[in-house]
Amino acid sequence: MNGAHDMGGMDGFGPINPEPDEPVFHGEWEKRVFAMTVATGFLGHWNIDMGRQAREQVDPAEYLRSSYYEKWLQGLETLLVEKGLITAEELAARKAEMAGGAP
Amino acid sequence: MPKLTADNVEDILRKGDSARLPDKVSAKFEPGQQVVVRNLNPLGHTRAPRYIRGKTGIIDRDHGVMIFPDTHAAGTGKSPQHVYSVRFEAAEVWGPDSMFPGRRGAIYIDLWDDYLDRA
Amino acid sequence: MPSEHSHDHDHSEVPSDLALRVKALESLLVEKGLVDPAALEILIDTYETKVGPRNGAKVVAHAWSDPDYKARLLADGSKAIAEFGFDGRQGKDIVVVENTEQVHNMVVCTLCSCYPWPVLGLPPVWYKASPYRARAVRDPVGVLKDFGVTLPEDVEIRVWDSTAELRYLVLPQRPAGTEGLSEADLAELVTRDSMIGTGLAKQPGAGGTP
Repeated sequence: MNGAHDMGGMDGFGPINPEPDEPVFHGEWEKRVFAMTVATGFLGHWNIDMGRQAREQVDPAEYLRSSYYEKWLQGLETLLVEKGLITAEELAARKAEMAGGAP
Repeated sequence: MPKLTADNVEDILRKGDSARLPDKVSAKFEPGQQVVVRNLNPLGHTRAPRYIRGKTGIIDRDHGVMIFPDTHAAGTGKSPQHVYSVRFEAAEVWGPDSMFPGRRGAIYIDLWDDYLDRA
Repeated sequence: MPSEHSHDHDHSEVPSDLALRVKALESLLVEKGLVDPAALEILIDTYETKVGPRNGAKVVAHAWSDPDYKARLLADGSKAIAEFGFDGRQGKDIVVVENTEQVHNMVVCTLCSCYPWPVLGLPPVWYKASPYRARAVRDPVGVLKDFGVTLPEDVEIRVWDSTAELRYLVLPQRPAGTEGLSEADLAELVTRDSMIGTGLAKQPGAGGTP
C-alpha cells in the first residue's frame, strides 16, 4: 500500500540527530514491546510480512508521529485482535483495572 | 512453530529464519541485464518502494529464490522467486540535478522477479 | 507538554500511559499463556547485553587482517560471519559491501528498519526514524554531513535500500597507520556507524564515537 511507511525520498523531516551513547532501549516499556513482538511471532498466527503489513496500516499521521516501538505496539495489538488471540475489550478492561489498581 | 520458552529461546534466536526457499525456480534475469520496475500500486503489502517504480536499472546480482512478500503478507502463499540487487543510477531516480551533485552515485534495491520487466 | 518536538523522540502518548498500555497487554498475554515471561527476559538480555556492534567490529578487524577471510566475507557474508559463531535472527543472509578509495557504501531501510542483528544488534533510533529513512536514498551527501563525514568528490556513493530479507554490512576502509595493530586493537577502531556507512573507522588515538 502507498502508506506513510514508504518514505524514501520524502523531504522536510529535518536533520538526523544521532543520540550520543544511545542505550539499546529507552525505558522498560520498549523492552517489553520488543520482546512480546518477537515472542508472539513464534505462535504461528502470522508471518514477518503480515507483521510488517500490520505496522504499515497504522494511520499515516499517527505513523509519522509515533516512535518506532509505538508502531510495533500498535501493530502487535492489531495482529492479536485480528487473529482472535485477544479482544480489544479485554485489553481495555485490563488497562482500566491496572490503572485503578495502581493510583 | 514452537512457543518461545526460557528453554528454547536462545536456540531459536540463533537458528534464525531465512526467507530463502529450496524451490527450483528459474531466474527471469541475469546480472548485467537492464530492467524496469513495474508501476505497481497494490492496496496490500509490497516491498517495491514508490520512488523506484517505473525506473530503469541494471541487475547487479542474483540472491537466489526467496519468499515473495506481497503474497506472503496476504496469506496466499510464498510464491518462490528470485530476488536481485538492482542498481539504479542516482540521476535515473531523482533527475540529473537533484541528487549527489557533482559525483557518481547509485541506489541498490532488492527486488523480486514479479516487480520487474525487461527494459 | 511544550509544543516543540523532535520527530525521532516524539511520542503520541505520554510515557506513563504508554507504560500502562504495555503492562496491560503483557499481563493479558501471560495470563493466556501466549508468552513465557522468562523467555521475554532472555530475549531482552540477549539484545541488550550480548548481541551488538562489537560482533561486527570483530568481523571487520579480522577481514582487515586476513585477506583470505576478507575474500570469503565478500563472497558469502553470512557463512564467513558464522565462523565467529554470529548467526541467527535477521542475519541469515548477510551481504558485505566493501568501502574503497573509489566507492563508499551506506545502508538504509526506507520501508521499515531492516538491520543485520547478529553483527550490529538492534538499530539505533535514528536508523528507524523518518529523517534517515527518507533522506538516505535522496541526499546521502547531506546525511553524511549530519554525521560529520565529508567524502572526496571523486568517491562514488552507493546506497543500499534493504527491501528484501538480505541484510547489509559495510566493510569500512582500514585507517592508515594501523599496520602494526593487533586484531583486538583494530576492532576498537570499528564503529557501529562505520558498518552502516554513516561513519568511517576511527583513526588510532581518536576519541570515542558510535
